[in-house]
Amino acid sequence: MSLWFALSPLLILSAGGLLLMLADAFSEKHTDLALGAFMTFASAGIFAVALWIMGGVPAEVAKLVAPWIVLDKFTLFFMATLCLGGALSSLLAGGYLPEHGLDRGEFYALMILSAIGGVLLVAAGDFLALFIGLETMSIGVYAMTSFRRTNPRSAEGGMKYYLLGSFAAAIMLYGFALMYGATGTTALAGIRDALASGSFGYARDPSRLTTVIIAMAMILVGLAFKISAVPFHMWTPDAYQGAPTPATAFMSVVVKAAAVATAMRVLLVAFGDKFSSSWGAGWPPVVAGLAVATMVVANLIAIRQENVKRMLAYSSIAHAGYLLIGLVAAWGHGDPSASRNGKAAILFYLLQYTVTQAGAFGALILCGSKGKEAVSYEDLAGLGRRNPAVALPFTLFLLSLAGIPPMSGFFGKLFIFQSAIEGGFTWLAVIGLLNSVLAAFYYLRVLVFLYMKEPQPGAVEAVPMKSGYVTAAMVLASALVLYFGLMPGRSLDMAISAAQSLM
Amino acid sequence: MHSGWLSVFAFLVVSSLIGFGLLAASRVIRVRSKSDSPLKHRTYECGEEPAGLAWMQFHARYYVVAIFFVLFDVEAVFLFPWAVVLRELGSAAFVAAVLFVVVLMLGWLYALRKEALQWQ
Repeated sequence: MSLWFALSPLLILSAGGLLLMLADAFSEKHTDLALGAFMTFASAGIFAVALWIMGGVPAEVAKLVAPWIVLDKFTLFFMATLCLGGALSSLLAGGYLPEHGLDRGEFYALMILSAIGGVLLVAAGDFLALFIGLETMSIGVYAMTSFRRTNPRSAEGGMKYYLLGSFAAAIMLYGFALMYGATGTTALAGIRDALASGSFGYARDPSRLTTVIIAMAMILVGLAFKISAVPFHMWTPDAYQGAPTPATAFMSVVVKAAAVATAMRVLLVAFGDKFSSSWGAGWPPVVAGLAVATMVVANLIAIRQENVKRMLAYSSIAHAGYLLIGLVAAWGHGDPSASRNGKAAILFYLLQYTVTQAGAFGALILCGSKGKEAVSYEDLAGLGRRNPAVALPFTLFLLSLAGIPPMSGFFGKLFIFQSAIEGGFTWLAVIGLLNSVLAAFYYLRVLVFLYMKEPQPGAVEAVPMKSGYVTAAMVLASALVLYFGLMPGRSLDMAISAAQSLM
Repeated sequence: MHSGWLSVFAFLVVSSLIGFGLLAASRVIRVRSKSDSPLKHRTYECGEEPAGLAWMQFHARYYVVAIFFVLFDVEAVFLFPWAVVLRELGSAAFVAAVLFVVVLMLGWLYALRKEALQWQ
């Protein structure tokens, strides 16, 4: 296998992104670009799956780009997941942008270029590659957030995201620098070896211990910001609400998956030594605290939202909390079986979350009418009767987000809580479970408005938009939600196999 | 002291000598003006009248021009070290740099088509 083939998903995305950028500049009509973006994501995803089926990238090829880029099954799994999320988002964009007068072709190029950053972030085995991937991903997303140029909310969201994002990146970079100062390397595996080796000597040189702990805290801040964990979540609702809905879907799916993947790699690989990952002095109790805060705060605020898009933003923060439980379980007191199941649970959760969340935003797009998004619960009233073809997939996705069987979200949560119990964190699983019950309230509230309420007398009844692109995305996402929910076995096996390759 | 740093120190001394020396020399051999006209206190002492204050709104187009400048500036920053070690690195480095420049040129082509360089 040549290196070209091993890197093919990245190369396809790069070539596709550049081609779409030029196609946008040199063509008059823009609507077909969505199809181009979809094809780019689909072919990159197919190549990632093909690499997986061929048994992954052979070690002698992977070592050509190591340690900067790690081409293990973990990377391939996420490449496919990110491409799936990108493909769904570009379909949503194909329907949304023309409908809302935003039909500018840059969007697709930005989305693909940002996804390249996401893939690089997932594959990064070195702090420098990681930072380049992070920034490549973020800059595209900042621009997409403020894409509704004339809308003050969009500008506000983009500005907040940009300022806070650069701030978090700077803090993280400072952490990288301190870590380099303490260990003399930027490679994740090298840092683990340096921290684990006896010659590093915390006991002999306590000042190094201080440096490592401060660096670890700073890196954690940067990661928590990208995952949008409480208390680093302030930008999320504004950015998600202001951004055009396909960009919101992209952010909550691709950016989140890439950020969680890199958090797994950094925490479990670089900080996987006995000391940094001890309950007494390492990162696991911090991540557990973040998980609890994230779930509780996000769910409590989500209940009070009157805007459906904002509610979905807070719900996306809450899902980050469940994923952080998985991260603690993936550490699992160093127990290999619990650790493997925890990692696999996160991977499966992200895979099913990608289709569910993208589908939910797609359904929200279909509920909106020309030039006006569906914003409040009232806008959705009576849609179940007026437009059952939209309400039905919406129901499916909301039930999956709430974690109700047989939707995929149920198994996602089940595996996370199971691995937490196995790893000895029953209390975390219980808090997570209580939060899922809390969350079910606001998901089911949407269903109440869809099926049991009628619009206020005299209210303007929005005519839901129609779009082949969004419908295709709905069909694809619904099929996958049902597939992951009814037959989780195969994808879970893949998640386990990917989890085992993470080291 | 390491001999490499000695040359840096010598460079520092010589360059500051030249800098301060020129300033001092111009003070000694300048032509003194007799009058103290208000023109001497202008920002630009070359006949250009400053129009307004620097604290004003600038046209957003300057931003695009600035981005372009940074873009090609950074390209040059990357290409200089590359050119210095190209002989040792061989053809792979050449291909990599060509790819880098091609991607940059694609971006430039995009900006050109989008009329980012036109001031209207």
